[in-house]
Amino acid sequence: MRVAVGDALPAWSLDRVSPERMRTVAAILRDPNPVHWDRAFTTERGLEGKVVNQSPVNVGYVVNMLHAWAGPGCLRRLRVEFPAPVFDEDQVTAGGRVSAITSGDAETLAECEVWLDRQDGTRAVAGIAWVAIPDQASSSAS
Amino acid sequence: MISEAEMQALVGHCFPGGHYEVAHWENHLLTEATGCEPLPDGLVHPVHLFHVPIAGVGVSIAELFALAGADSDASVTIDYYDWEFAAPLREDVSYRMTGGVTEHERKRIGDGPFVDSLSFAIELFDGEAFVARSTFRWHFWRFDP
Repeated sequence: MRVAVGDALPAWSLDRVSPERMRTVAAILRDPNPVHWDRAFTTERGLEGKVVNQSPVNVGYVVNMLHAWAGPGCLRRLRVEFPAPVFDEDQVTAGGRVSAITSGDAETLAECEVWLDRQDGTRAVAGIAWVAIPDQASSSAS
Repeated sequence: MISEAEMQALVGHCFPGGHYEVAHWENHLLTEATGCEPLPDGLVHPVHLFHVPIAGVGVSIAELFALAGADSDASVTIDYYDWEFAAPLREDVSYRMTGGVTEHERKRIGDGPFVDSLSFAIELFDGEAFVARSTFRWHFWRFDP
């Protein structure tokens, strides 16, 4: 796998954010926040009955994009913020770009700007990932 | 509203600590909820680094809300997550975890509500070997004076 600074990471998309999955996640996480499963509550709060996807799952979409690119187990660090929420029925696309490459004794790391966008272009996740690159033979430098 | 001094006093608070093992069913369901197939070779999807450290140190999300005197379950928002992996997590491994509250800051948003930002850090070990660290900051919004 050859990687260079400036490379775009292949996008990863989900056509429909499922409210049923939000309920499963709420149970596994034992997350009591009703914004993830109670439409009456979110209607009262002006969200037009939309429920809000759990932020770790939004991060999970970004991780899926990184796994599809560099393989499961590639992630070394991920720091992300959440400029906007993701709602049920949204379509989301994760993307990224290589911003630096560092070679150590044990492995080569790609530092990547990463994001998750909603179908209207709203950025829901933004951050930086450090990813181990398998068999990096490139001479690219950061 | 909980006082700024009470919030500041939380810095340095250590959670009980403990162990957590991600079962296959849990990994399967949560991985599937991210829209992908289960990972090979018993690898745990990194999305688990949100709730596993919290559960592993012996608390729950609801207890973290209560610790900071959250106005309600819906008054807490997330600022950031910082997940570090020295090695991937794997199913059926009993990870030892330690952690606590590391920082606090109170701000007022214009003439509106106050917000207490509380940072947490939890480390995961396999035996004595460091495996992962979850650092995260939540905003606790104070709408009631």
